[in-house]
Amino acid sequence: MTASAERAPVLPEGSALGWIKERLFRNVWSGAVTVVLIPVLIYVGYRAFVFIFINGQWAAVSRNLTNFIMGRYPRDQTWRLVAQMMLLALAFGAGAGTGSGTARDKAEEAGLVYVPPTLAGTLRRFWSLIAFVLVLLVMAGSTGPWLVAGAAVVLGYVGWQSWRLPRSLRMLSWLATALLLLAGFQVVSGTDGMAWLPVALAVAFAVWLVVPVERLQAVMRPVVSLVASLAAAAVVFGVYQVIAFPGIGWDQWSGMHLTLWWSAIVSALAFPVGLLLALARRSNLPALRYLATTYIELIRGVPLITLLFMGQFILGFMLPAGTNLSSISRSIAAGTLFTAAYLAEIVRGGLQSLPPGQAEAGQALGMAPTTIMRKIVLPQALRAVIPAMVGQFISLFKDSSLLFIINVTEFLSVRGIVHAQPDFRVIAHAETLVFVAVGYWAFAFAMSRESQRLERRLGIGER
Amino acid sequence: MTTATSKTHRRPPFWRDVRVLRVVGQIVALVAVALAARWFLTNLITNLNRSGIRTDFGFLTQPTQFTIPYFTTFNARSPVWQMVLVGVKNTLLVGFLGILMASVVGLVVGIARLSTNWLAARLATVFVEFFRNIPPLVVIIFFGAAVFTFGPLPILQEGIEITLPGSSNNLLLLSNDQWGIPGLVSQGNVGAYLVVLAVGLAVAVGLWVWRTRVNISTGAPDHRVLWFVGALLLFAVVGYLVLGGPFSIEWPSLSENRRRIETGFAMNWGFMALTGALGLYTASHIAEIIRGSIQAVPKGQTEASSALALRGFQRYRFVILPQALRIAVPPVINQFLNLVKNTSLGLAVAYAELAALTQTSIGNGRPAVQSIVVMMAVYLAFSLSISLILNVVNRRLQLVTR
Repeated sequence: MTASAERAPVLPEGSALGWIKERLFRNVWSGAVTVVLIPVLIYVGYRAFVFIFINGQWAAVSRNLTNFIMGRYPRDQTWRLVAQMMLLALAFGAGAGTGSGTARDKAEEAGLVYVPPTLAGTLRRFWSLIAFVLVLLVMAGSTGPWLVAGAAVVLGYVGWQSWRLPRSLRMLSWLATALLLLAGFQVVSGTDGMAWLPVALAVAFAVWLVVPVERLQAVMRPVVSLVASLAAAAVVFGVYQVIAFPGIGWDQWSGMHLTLWWSAIVSALAFPVGLLLALARRSNLPALRYLATTYIELIRGVPLITLLFMGQFILGFMLPAGTNLSSISRSIAAGTLFTAAYLAEIVRGGLQSLPPGQAEAGQALGMAPTTIMRKIVLPQALRAVIPAMVGQFISLFKDSSLLFIINVTEFLSVRGIVHAQPDFRVIAHAETLVFVAVGYWAFAFAMSRESQRLERRLGIGER
Repeated sequence: MTTATSKTHRRPPFWRDVRVLRVVGQIVALVAVALAARWFLTNLITNLNRSGIRTDFGFLTQPTQFTIPYFTTFNARSPVWQMVLVGVKNTLLVGFLGILMASVVGLVVGIARLSTNWLAARLATVFVEFFRNIPPLVVIIFFGAAVFTFGPLPILQEGIEITLPGSSNNLLLLSNDQWGIPGLVSQGNVGAYLVVLAVGLAVAVGLWVWRTRVNISTGAPDHRVLWFVGALLLFAVVGYLVLGGPFSIEWPSLSENRRRIETGFAMNWGFMALTGALGLYTASHIAEIIRGSIQAVPKGQTEASSALALRGFQRYRFVILPQALRIAVPPVINQFLNLVKNTSLGLAVAYAELAALTQTSIGNGRPAVQSIVVMMAVYLAFSLSISLILNVVNRRLQLVTR
């Protein structure tokens, strides 16, 4: 931002010719570059125009939009995906609204003026995604998708209104957001079978963190925390037994739906593992340190595809005979092992960037090591590396395309379904590939913009 | 303090004694990891034995039972370890050329992003944002397959021959799936020539260091590049003449049926797609690093060099780039490492690199566990050697900056 302002040359006000002279023909070299680039640009633009608007056989894409979005997912269960979209729109809206409300509270506390995000600003932030969705809607050429998208936008707006909630309801609002996200996931995946287990673990862990045990005697603290966590887990288990809503497991997901969820699930699983690995690597217990270091360096030394091969060819043999994991579950395991190592290195960077005085201050106050870690070190260290972690998640999102190589039908491999159709067996290979590239690009670009924005907002590199 | 010095001070009970807990914690961690590893390994061996799959590395000396396209020296009877070598060679070839391409393109684009020329800066930004946000696999497949269907390249069904003027030797052969350029063929004593070149390189490096010292101590112009290249050329030419031509140029030519390129250095399309795609993909990341590093050089440096009346190019060449590149080198080497690891995507365009060959080999009934172990070991060796280089470079750079 400032760099461009500094570089901006002094222009004769309002003169187009002056602009051209200054920005295109400043000196001989600049002029030569311009003269070479303009014809190249015109030629490439012409070829692109012809491809997109005249020669391109986009029917291969527009007739297969459903395939690209949900691939081999059973079609009679499409309503679940629609419901998921609605719930997630509500959840994202509520999350953004609650976040905005919290920021408002903080600004008020500090006596600052809070500038709420504007509609134009939001559109600009997510323009690549919005443009991609519009392309999808135009290509679909029917009213149904427009209605669904419109409903999602309305629900997102409804969720956004949560910023109006009074401050006392913020925690509740965050909880509602989390529950909406969970509901959005489980409206497709179902709540029967073992679905209760990860939720119970997460809830138990959250309860462990928030139960106020500081006033109790030291001996009692772990006991009370444990009992409270177990009780919460038991409640979750009971609720899930009552609901027992059958669903479509992720083994049957595919297309862009799978790509997005695969990245999200792997990120969610890899984060705690990576955090523990980073702590272990920074630990002063040599055994933990060596184990963590060996693991991290081994994993970072090999390409993801070798781990996916391992998941595909070896993992099945490493489990007791009779266990049958689908290739999607195995790829999630491989992706988690891989991403955790990279996240560990990122978190370690955050831990190292924190001045030792922070932890020492905690020690001086007589805090327990775990409390220092939880209340002082981790919040600051994690905050500092959020952009780097987003970068890793983008990279993971892009790496999800490797599932193509192990024959999982994610977004890229849907091309296989399309080109198996008699109409598109030999034609339109470029068109489908360009469409897939644009799809990946829209998401990755939006995420990278968000990460740059976070980096500016958190003031990283300015301290 | 008072409690510690008082007589009533007792050691805490052992379950709250940090010294005991440390030891116990480590033992628990080690035992847990060992038990998990044992469980997985026992399962693995039991399951493999039950399925009658061998668990030794004897398969490495057995024939591969498949051929590799474009590799005439390799046939179905060649042992598996030779296949691994072919894979390593191909991986390194793509890695080396890709790194070259990514460095050059990345440096140019990174500088162009900060150019005062609006068009160049904009195009560079578009290039970076485009390639950075697309999976490398998509770029590879795009280069490998789709570029022919609509790109600016003409469709080469027949094959185009560009001959050396005044002779019948082909300089360049373009066909639909292969490009041929002149190659070098050993005349038997290439090994000796390589030794001569290595000695030449050592002498050239020595001269470089010497000229730098002369420059530092006396202020005389160093002419390092001149001395370096001169010494290297001298060794190369004299060595070539003394050894009576250790290698000769082989011109590319088409086979009898005019379907494939037989002699010379033939690049198949998978190779070019993989190299080009990874080169450009990595270049976009390197360009961002270069831009960030240039912007990380304090503004006072630019201002000071302007105050010394250095011109735009001189400012870059003598003041900004030397400092920026120092910041950029560690992350750029990391990108090189990523590129080498990404060569494993070559199996999407059927390029015979290590991962593709391993997959084919497993598909041909070779034991998966050992094949994957061999493949991972090779990639690990690549990564560790690059990390080693990175560490050495880091240490050197840090010494210089202080």
